[in-house]
Amino acid sequence: MSQRRVLLRAARFAAFAVGVAVVTVLPHWLSDFRASEVAYVGVYMIGILGLNILTGYTGQISLGHGAFMAIGGYTTAILVGHHAVRDLWTIPLAGLVAGGAGLLFGLPALRLSGLYLALATFALPVALPQVLKKFSHFTGGGQGIQIFGDPDYTGKGYENVHVLGQTLTFNDWLYYLTWTIAVVLFVAAWALLAGRAGRTFRAIRDSEIAATASGIDLPLYKTLAFGISAAFAGVAGSLFVLVSFSASPGSFPIVLSLYLLVGAVVAGLGSLWGIVVGALFVQYLPAVSGHISNHAGAADVTRGVILILVVLILPAGVAGLIRRAGSPLTNRAIRRS
Amino acid sequence: MRGRFAAAAVLALVLPLSVQAASAADPGVTGTSVLLGGTAPLTGEASSGGLTAKGAAAYFAYVNARGRVARRTITYKIVDDEYDPAKTIQGTRQLVESDKVFAIFNPLGTAQNIATRAYLNSKGVPQLFVASGWGGWAREAKTFPDTVGFIPTYTGEGIIYARYIKQKIPSAKIAVLYQDDEYGRELLSALKKGLGAKQRQIVGQQSYDPASTDVQAQIARLKASGANTLMIFAFGKFAIQAFVYVKKLGWKPKQIFVNAVAAATSVLRLATTSGQTQGAISIAFFKDPADPRFDRDKGMKLYKAIMSKYGSGGRPGPASRCAGTNPPAWCSGYYLAGMAPAYTLVAALRKVGRNLTRARLLRTVMHLDVRNNPFVLPGVRIRTGAGDRYPIEQAQLQRWRGTRWHALGKLVSAPRR
Amino acid sequence: MAEFLQQVVSGLATGGIYGSLALAIVLIYRSARVINFAQGEMGMFATFIALWLIDSGWPYWWAFAATLVMAFVGGVLIERVVIRPVEGAPAVTVVIVTIGLFIALNGLAYWIWGGETRSFPSAFSTRAIRIGGVAFSIQDFGIIGVSLAAVALLFLFFRFTKVGLGLRAAAVNPAASRLVGVRVGWMLALGWGFASVLGAVSGMMVAPLVFLDPNMMRPVLLYAIAAAILGGLESPLGAVVGGLVLGVGLNLIATYVDFVGETLQLPFAFVVILGVLLVRPAGLFGRVAVRRA
Repeated sequence: MSQRRVLLRAARFAAFAVGVAVVTVLPHWLSDFRASEVAYVGVYMIGILGLNILTGYTGQISLGHGAFMAIGGYTTAILVGHHAVRDLWTIPLAGLVAGGAGLLFGLPALRLSGLYLALATFALPVALPQVLKKFSHFTGGGQGIQIFGDPDYTGKGYENVHVLGQTLTFNDWLYYLTWTIAVVLFVAAWALLAGRAGRTFRAIRDSEIAATASGIDLPLYKTLAFGISAAFAGVAGSLFVLVSFSASPGSFPIVLSLYLLVGAVVAGLGSLWGIVVGALFVQYLPAVSGHISNHAGAADVTRGVILILVVLILPAGVAGLIRRAGSPLTNRAIRRS
Repeated sequence: MRGRFAAAAVLALVLPLSVQAASAADPGVTGTSVLLGGTAPLTGEASSGGLTAKGAAAYFAYVNARGRVARRTITYKIVDDEYDPAKTIQGTRQLVESDKVFAIFNPLGTAQNIATRAYLNSKGVPQLFVASGWGGWAREAKTFPDTVGFIPTYTGEGIIYARYIKQKIPSAKIAVLYQDDEYGRELLSALKKGLGAKQRQIVGQQSYDPASTDVQAQIARLKASGANTLMIFAFGKFAIQAFVYVKKLGWKPKQIFVNAVAAATSVLRLATTSGQTQGAISIAFFKDPADPRFDRDKGMKLYKAIMSKYGSGGRPGPASRCAGTNPPAWCSGYYLAGMAPAYTLVAALRKVGRNLTRARLLRTVMHLDVRNNPFVLPGVRIRTGAGDRYPIEQAQLQRWRGTRWHALGKLVSAPRR
Repeated sequence: MAEFLQQVVSGLATGGIYGSLALAIVLIYRSARVINFAQGEMGMFATFIALWLIDSGWPYWWAFAATLVMAFVGGVLIERVVIRPVEGAPAVTVVIVTIGLFIALNGLAYWIWGGETRSFPSAFSTRAIRIGGVAFSIQDFGIIGVSLAAVALLFLFFRFTKVGLGLRAAAVNPAASRLVGVRVGWMLALGWGFASVLGAVSGMMVAPLVFLDPNMMRPVLLYAIAAAILGGLESPLGAVVGGLVLGVGLNLIATYVDFVGETLQLPFAFVVILGVLLVRPAGLFGRVAVRRA
């Protein structure tokens, strides 16, 4: 193996190890409340991870991942709130249900690409709130489902949680729950993308015709990408509901789907490096822009301008930035030895 | 459903603990200051709702400048929740756990506050004067004792209209246009409840989705039902459109009712230019800055003085300045809708005095009798007591003639159920 | 029968609204291969500017014309400043830029003019005409008439003028167009400018019906996208016809199919989009592209 490859591998592993270490000890430096806020970052990270698999690696644009989050979130809310299922079990279930929905959507979406696909996926988050309100018997309608205080909800929203011999405050529990799953899914995504599936996805992204010519089963892999990506979003949605102790149609607005895509682009499509930055962007842009000015509309102007600027300045996202910054370093190291 | 009862049972265990904890050194209050928090949609589609928070803030600024309350300065921190309940939860947690507010004041939205209610009650944080007409704040007070609403409920409003119809138009054939969400549906079911057996006189009901462009089709269907009485349970531009399409389609209902939220003078004036608004009936409980009736009213003068000095909407003047296509910001009733509860809260704080704890404030708020709130209609009492968690239970029927509202009869009571 | 006809007529009126904005969306797609999510907001913003001129005393038609000019310049500027840097970038990037524009313009309108609902004068008579139990006004059909006139103008422009040819060429094959001397960059800017003008026209015709506020075009945009897809993203005529079909169709379904009613009207519109995209992505009037693999 080339020296460069070895160095890059080592660097990546080191960066990952440092990341995990930071995630593990961060709550010591964060106030209790901030821990719950950073839990949301973990949630968005999982969602962006999924979206990246679909849009970054397989080249299929989705403007509807907020809807898959909603599907996963409501699965958890309904099971915990109405059917006394322990919340932790609902997390993989939410992933399965949302993944199934993704597969279902992926099948007809096979015929679409580029902008047409974007528009078709856009239909999902637009239509979903109305559907949720219509079937209010199951979904609680406009008021949604509250799980605060529910006995099947770990920590019930305010209690300390005992796990692995440690006692965690409720907010810290949320933090570790979301980030543990986020790290696990990150590794899973990495493994998936580093292997054959990943190469297949990238081949599809680069040229569908060439991929078909090389014998790739296009419909299978494209649908699979949708399903996997939606499953990730479903898990993110489930955790979102657990961190918010409620689910309602208004919690999954259209802007959520848009911001997930923005987060994926900021992170850098086609690479996993910038995912955390993308998630931080999604969580903190609205709040930060709100502080700029109290004047009506100023916050939205700031958000829109920042979105445009970020995409103009960093078209390849944070990952692209890292790659560009990192290459002279590795070149240096190689030349040295 | 099961989850709800379980939650209630758990809270019944938790609450006595939290009340105890609340008495010892409550957060957010010092000898010279008290910190209040609130969530409201400052940005996004419902952002006119954020104006109530700004009105309240202006009132607090006024009070601070005029000698504070029991030697304490009131700080009111507003967090933008973009009308998204998940963000309301985040913002409320930030206010409670990070900013350590003393109480949550006038948070806006029904779904938004349902989402935070259990959390706040479990921590003993008062959730005061919720800006929403949902009846559940009062109905479920046993489970959530730290929460109280303010304005008359949509249920009360619907029943008021039903009673008027039973008394004055007993043979009415009724058509209802309603927004397809909790508010619209609550008004409709209250109307039905109030009509009782006469429900079957509702010959047509049409809902509309707030994400649609217009309600022409619905009005056409309602006209085809043969009704002679129209209830407009719609908001903003959809209410205006309803009036306009009624006229355009050549429908001449004997009586139109329009719900209070859509009945601001500025809105009706817009509808009057091309719509059939004459004789329409609504209710009100706050004073309307665009209504010339209140030009000389002391409370309205106070409102305008406060807006001039602490608000951000130019120099208020007589109501005639609110006519035309570009009315200044102070003409909207939203700011005043925030000042009314702010006044009430200050009255409660004054009553509690120097020894300010959450428990004492809650006790005072739940046993109020404020009769001279300058921002509510004359004669309206703000009263709560044992078993009465409805601060405002009175409203004034009014009829639209010419270009303004005229009082119709005396104050009526807004029933609870 | 009268009720059915009234629903059809009302549906045509609403469909005219969708079609007018769909036209702008189609034009941008045709000349720049981009879906501009900010199209509605650009139209709304232009309408506010028109209202400001009218309030300052300008006669209606002068304000109308001046607004169109400003909309054109605005569209060109946006293309040059914001879109040009991401011209070669993947579709995702451009989508995000238009989303950013959407948010920023909406906020800017709130900032400058506030959220109050306002009325806007109509170019057409709003007097109701009643024939056989069905009521409508000239205004309802005025929108459709103006949109069809725009379709005709666009047809003539693309077919018979050199600039129109240049625009079509730049969209279909930028590289080859450059080789034959077409200023591709300016062609794109032109496309954005014209689309912006169409958006402004749409806004000014729609505002008298639905009343003006910063969120006026939001619901229109969603239905306009559905209409554009139904009619075919490349066909201006399709956009208008698609809008009418959608307006009438949704109305009739909402009236006669209880399950859909009003609640599920928006989801239903998008089921329609999905259906069209699957069965015939080119829409009613588009040309079917065949890919030989």
